[in-house]
This record gives sequence, structure tokens and C-alpha cells, in this order.
Amino acid sequence: MSEICVEITGLKKSFGTLDVLKGIELTVNRGDVVCIIGPSGSGKSTLLRCVNLLEEPNGGRVVVNGVELTDPDVDIDLARTKIGMVFQSFNLFAHLTVLNNLTVAQRKVLKRGEKEAQEVALRNLERVGLSEKANSMPAQLSGGQQQRVAIARALSMDPEVMLFDEPTSALDPELVGDVLGVMRQLADEGMTMLVVTHEMQFAREVADKVIFMDGGYIVEEGPAAEVIGNPQEERTRSFLARVLDPTHHGPSDSD
Amino acid sequence: MALSKRKRATYFRYAQYGLLLVIALVIAFTANWSEIVHTFFDLPTAGQMFPDLVTVSLKNTIVYTIFGFALGLLLGLLLALMKLSSVAPYRWIATGYIEFFRGVPALLVFLAFTVAVPLAFKIKFDIYSTVMLALGLVGAAYMAETIRAGIQAVPKGQVEAARSLGMSQGRAMITIVIPQAFRIILPPLTNELILLTKDSSLVYIIGLARDEYELTKFGREFLSRSPTLTPILVVGLSYLIITLPLGYLSRYLERRTGGKKVSVV
Repeated sequence: MSEICVEITGLKKSFGTLDVLKGIELTVNRGDVVCIIGPSGSGKSTLLRCVNLLEEPNGGRVVVNGVELTDPDVDIDLARTKIGMVFQSFNLFAHLTVLNNLTVAQRKVLKRGEKEAQEVALRNLERVGLSEKANSMPAQLSGGQQQRVAIARALSMDPEVMLFDEPTSALDPELVGDVLGVMRQLADEGMTMLVVTHEMQFAREVADKVIFMDGGYIVEEGPAAEVIGNPQEERTRSFLARVLDPTHHGPSDSD
Repeated sequence: MALSKRKRATYFRYAQYGLLLVIALVIAFTANWSEIVHTFFDLPTAGQMFPDLVTVSLKNTIVYTIFGFALGLLLGLLLALMKLSSVAPYRWIATGYIEFFRGVPALLVFLAFTVAVPLAFKIKFDIYSTVMLALGLVGAAYMAETIRAGIQAVPKGQVEAARSLGMSQGRAMITIVIPQAFRIILPPLTNELILLTKDSSLVYIIGLARDEYELTKFGREFLSRSPTLTPILVVGLSYLIITLPLGYLSRYLERRTGGKKVSVV
């Protein structure tokens, strides 16, 4: 039995009167890649943002790397240094060079020296294949390059788990492959990953476990081949049919 | 046949040029040019204003303005952060301060710091402190709103990225948000500097020693001894020497930052 990295029990989150998460149970083992799929508004991004407490849960427990984040006395800033996050809109620091994007948190949060921080940064830039862009500004990069820099920025903190919130949804189609390639490589290296995505091919090939969410619940979970290849629930089937073969379906009234 | 829309627009434009020309001609022929030249372009009087115009008064105007701007910027940043704070009393204080100092004439603030405040607290400010405090306190009220708008114009994702890397709220504000906010508000801040430059003229109501004169006080002093109104023109042109480059700088910065508009409500 492998070690548990993320453990979520009874997680509830609502915005005003809108209940987005209605009781989520989820366990992620160290080294696993978990892909979360589901229609828009199903709560998958909110679930991901609760894992590093960017959203404050209304109920339930979130334990990451053995630290209970929902404990009011937790040092959340310290806990977050071990949880890397990659956003749909990249969110690179617009006023800093690529290199400084990768070093600023290492220096200000981890208190690493400039030399060490730069070495770590350059090593991670190389991992995502962008060593030559160290001195560029974010605005000079393509979307795909920006997202790879964002991944390298998160990796520079030496996280134990990485959260990806629709990392390729804002990219032009021809740039998606570069980012997915980096993520696949990361998975092969044994990184624990939670990925909210619409890339079914990626989920099928890389994920150890796929979770289908709808209406604030986990509807179905299991190995990728089962959830995507042979879904048991009607909601999963109709979602997958619309995603995998969009041209053969009329407009849906559920979405 | 009726005129086409395009032709009509062309003729209408010619008519406007013609009207402007007529107005210019009327002014040119009715004005008493010899009297104007005699009154405002009295070169010997203008000559007497040098070198003190530059070495004393222009210099002092710049120094007073920079002092006031520096204090205003610091205090304005503090007020902006208070206004965005989750602590309600901070917001009330900041709002009260901004409403008060935007609402009262700067002249009254100057009077307060020359007379009322020294009386109340039994302290005596030197001239630089008085000017810095009065200009700074008024400037801060305007700059606070500009800075607040700038901070809010920085996308929320920047803070989320910073927090996800383990930065505290304060650290994210200082390292990530404020540097970007100032980039956005550089053009409107330059305009604040222009306004403060002109407001520094209010020092004239304070009793000043000769080497403390700034442009307006210097001009008034000279005017009382001059047979003509030339000092007024000279002083006015001196202000333009400061404000025109600043205005140019502001427009340049606006172009460079892509003309991002910050709404100051």
C-alpha cells in the first residue's frame, strides 16, 4: 500500500447560497496522477483550489503531505510551498523576467541565496525546454511557453504535489502538445499530480485514476480505461459522448 | 440637387476654419499691442529678475514640490492600503481623510499649518516642514485614490500565483502587486506632480525670508517694485518650464504602457 499524499474527507464549499461542493471524499497516493473531468460548473476547479486553500472550505478536512490545511492553526504559507499550482491563465508575474519569476519566491519565501535560487531556476527551465528564455519578459513568450515557465516556477519550490487547473484551456491548439508533453514527463518522473482537464487523450494515457464530477459530487472514479473507456454512470456517458464526439450531438440542455 | 453628406462635412469644416480666422483677426486688430508689449514684455525689468528667478525661486518651487510629492506618495500608498483593508475602521479613517482633504481648499491647509497647528501643539515648523506637510497631506488624498485604482487594476491571478508559492498577503502585496500597480499609474501620478507644482504657489501666504521665495511669491514681490506687469509673464513661463516637460513625460508613459486607462472613482 503506497503512502497517502492528499486526503480529502467530507469537503463542502459554497459561494453565497450556491453549493459548489457537496461532500467530496478523495484520496491521492504519492506518485499518482489523478485527472478530474466533468462539465463546467461541476466544481472541479473549486475542488482543486481547496487543496491549497485558495478557496476556504465551508466544511470537511483537507490533509496534504500529512498536514491538515483546514486546521485553523496551520501555517498555510509554509504548507503551500510544498503544493505547486499551475493556473489556466498562467499568471506569470508580468513585471519580472522569466528567471526572476522562478527565483522570487525561492528567495523571499524559502530564503535561498541568489546563486542557489538561480541554479534551481535554470535547472527547472531546462526541464521544460526554455533555458534560452531566462532573460525574456513573460509578454514576449507564446501562451505555451508562458505555461511551461509557470510549471517551472512551481517546480522551483520543490513541491511534493502539483495542482493543474485546466492548464491547456487558454492555449491555441497547436501549443497544447508542448505543455502536455512537459506534464507527461513530470508524471513519468513520479510527481504526484492533480489535473483538472478537458484533454481526454492525456487523461486516458497518463492518469492512474480519473474522477468524473458533476453537480458538486464525485459521480464516478477509477482507472482511466474504466471511467473513460467503459463508464458505468449515465451522466459520465453523456458527458464523454459530448466531449469525445461533439459534432454528433445536439445542444445539451443540462449545461 | 442636395449636397452629399461628404461634401456637406467638407464645407462645414471650411466654415469652422473661417470662423477661427475671423476671431483671431478681431482679437489682433482690437487689441492695444503697443500697450501689451510695454506692459508684459518689459525686457529691462525681466532682466533684473535674473539670476534670482532661477537660483532661488525656481529652485525652491522644485524643492517644495518634491518634498510634498514624496510625503504625499508615502501617505497616499498607506491610505490606499487602508482603503483596501479588510479592517473596517482602517477603511473609515482612509475614506474620512480622503474626503476631507479633497474637499477643503489647499489654501486653508496651508493656513492651518502656519497658524493653527503650531498654536495647538506648541510646535514651530520650519518652512520646509510646513510646505511638505501641507502639500503632502493634500496630495496624499488625491494620490491615494489613484494608487488604490492601480492596485485594483493588477489582475487577481497575480496574487493567487504569489499566494500559491507560499507568499503571505503582505509579501505578495509588496513584491508582486505594488510594483505592477505603480507601472500602471505612472501617467496619472505625473499629473499629480504637475498639480502639486502649481499648488506650491500657495506658500505665498506664509511669511517667507528672501531666500525661501518660490516662483509666485518672488513674482509678487518683484511686481510691487516693477512699473510693469512683466514679472507675471516671466513667472508664468517659469512654471511652464517645469510643467510642460512633465506633461510630455506623462503622455510618453501613457503610450509606453499601452494607454491602459485606470478609472479613478
